[in-house]
This record gives sequence, structure tokens and C-alpha cells, in this order.
Amino acid sequence: MLSAVLLSVMTATTSAQWLSIPLPGTPRTPDGKPNINAPAPKTADGKPDLSGIWKADTMRYNDNLLPPGTEAPMLPWAAEVYKHRVATMGYDRPMTFCMPHGVPDNMTVAGLPFKIIQTPNVMIVLFEEFHVYRQIQTDGRALPIDPDPAWYGYSIGRWDGDTFIVDTAGFKGVVGDNSREGSWLDNNGHPHTDALHLTERFRRTNFGHMEMQVTVDDPKAYTRTWTSDTMRFTLQPDTELLEHLCENNRDLTSLQQYWKGQEQAAPSTAGKQ
Amino acid sequence: MCVASLAASGRALAHHSFAAEFDEKKPVSLTGTVTKLEWTNPHIWFFMDVKSPDGSVTNWGFEMGGTAQLLRAGWKRDSMKIGDVVAVDAYRSRDDSNRANARSVTLTNTGQKLFAGSQAP
Repeated sequence: MLSAVLLSVMTATTSAQWLSIPLPGTPRTPDGKPNINAPAPKTADGKPDLSGIWKADTMRYNDNLLPPGTEAPMLPWAAEVYKHRVATMGYDRPMTFCMPHGVPDNMTVAGLPFKIIQTPNVMIVLFEEFHVYRQIQTDGRALPIDPDPAWYGYSIGRWDGDTFIVDTAGFKGVVGDNSREGSWLDNNGHPHTDALHLTERFRRTNFGHMEMQVTVDDPKAYTRTWTSDTMRFTLQPDTELLEHLCENNRDLTSLQQYWKGQEQAAPSTAGKQ
Repeated sequence: MCVASLAASGRALAHHSFAAEFDEKKPVSLTGTVTKLEWTNPHIWFFMDVKSPDGSVTNWGFEMGGTAQLLRAGWKRDSMKIGDVVAVDAYRSRDDSNRANARSVTLTNTGQKLFAGSQAP
């Protein structure tokens, strides 16, 4: 056991990266491996602690938030925007312009993990993709009234038993015929407006697993509220986030050239509200 | 093997829309000499000279995952150096330019085959 620990420490110090580094507070099996099936950790006040590095189990949630075989109840203009985004294979997603995913889809990028740091008054979420972050205030404050619209909106969180409930509003969203404003709800391109109110429900089922569902309330884009598929995340033990800044975006020019050519051949009127 | 399973699953990941830029119906396998390497995010790019049977040389550009993704897949930043001969399995761009999205790279001096995409299969 001691030699295994020494070996892993030596490996960590000789590696230029922190890809593999034993992290304190990790429950372990007798052979020293992280025990991802151990009980979920708790904070000093007895609440579940969501802290850790997480990765979505599948890219499917990032493609489409909805449960398989279901459709979002889109208003006609939103359905047109969505149809256009799907038909053009999402070439003009925010990421093409080095803008990040949003809420909740920044957590569903399966190739790039995120890190939750839970503190008594705020939960901080660091996203590896594009080096961005999100803050979920847990000090009891209310959502701001008439806030300056923001890409990630404004988030407040509270506990209901073992479920962490996050309310987020104050988003930038599609305005008039400018479908470029704000994030997309998923990579397929479900749109949202500045009326979006999201309710996320997180549950850490054990040390290595977390699940989340989000309810979408946006009366300017959808005929009723709807709820996502249950999204599942697995803890990435004994590792760290690495830098992922958008420093070399070689794709933008070729994507724009190719798809402007395609769209000139078949013009679209999508985006009119 | 991993290339086949990726193609079959229809999934290929990138910071941008993979399907909008590259075509899974246009697989290419090329061997050449590395001329340039950009170890950058959101994607690593490398370029290599490919010699045709008639002796002409074409420079190709290949997109890979980001640095974190390749490090997690077993790469080091000096795994591939200018002048190395490598074999690439990739999907060509929709516009038929000499650009492609690499799925795997085989380093011919060691025989090591490394996954090159944005998420390990």
C-alpha cells in the first residue's frame, strides 16, 4: 500500500501535467483505487457535497436535451429556427465563434469535463471548455429583478432534502430576427429567448455518480414548460481540469465559406418572431 | 478498430459542428511527412506532405482534438515532430479541400497508434 502511494506520488511529480494525481478526500478500495460507489460525501452542515470533476456519460444530452422520441413544444417561429439549425448541421453554433455552450448544455459536453466547487454561500462551476465559469449563489438571495441579460443568466440554489435545486433567469436570448443572440439549449439548436427560466435538479447518488434534470420555462419560445431527459454524470477521480482556451480557431472561415455557399443556393427565412 | 466503431456510431466530436465541416462518408487514409504542428486549442492541427505515385507532393491539414483531450488519450506534446512520417485515418472536409479531421494517427517510427479525436471512444 505504502509503495503504491509512493509510486503514484512519484508519477505525479515527474509528470508535467496533472492528468493523474491522487486527490485528498477520495474514498478508496483496499487496492488504493478510487471507490466511485462509496456514499456521496457530505458537507459540515450535513448537505450532500457535489464537489468534484464530472463528465457527462454520453454526448446524446448535448445533441438533444429531450428524452428520446419526444419533441419540444415549440412556437412556430422557434420551430423554424430549430429546423434551420438542424438543416445546416449547426454550422453557426456559438462554439464556431468561440462562444461557449450555455445553461445547462455546458455540462453535457462529454469530451470536456467540468469541476464543481461547493462552498457555504456559493457553488462555483468551472468548465474546461473555453475556460469559463458559472456561479450559483446559495446565500439566500433572490433572483435579480430586471437584470442585464447575460449568457449564463443569474443562478440561485437551494436544497430540498438531498436534491440541489437551481433557478436561473436573466438570459440573453433570441431577439426579433437575430437568432445569434445568446446560447442554444443544445447542439441540435433548441432556441430560447430572454424570457427563459430554468430549474435544474441535481442529485449526487453516490461518490462517483450524479444526475440532473432541467425544466425549461420560456413562454416566448414554447407553448408550455418541458423537462429534459435525466442526464447522468460520472466523477473523474484523481485528475484535474486542463486549459482549453480558443486560441486557434481554424474552422470559422471554412465553415462560413462553405455554408454561405449552401445557403445562397437555398435561402431561408428562419428566425422571424 | 476504433475508427470503424466511430464511423459506425456516427459520432465525431469537435468544438464546432463536426458534421458541418467534415463528411463521415469521405474517409481518407494518408501517409506523409509532418511539416507543421500547432499544439493548440480548441483543436490541434498538423500539416503533412503527401507524395502521389506520380511524384507530386500535396500538403494536407489535419484537425485533431484539443490538447487536454489528446493528453488524456495518451499523447505528449512531442509525440509527433516535424519530419516524422505518420499514417492518418481521417474524414475529409465537405468542401473537398485538402483538410480532414483525423480520427487516429500511427507514428511509423514506433508503430504507436493514437486516438486523435475530441473524445476517447
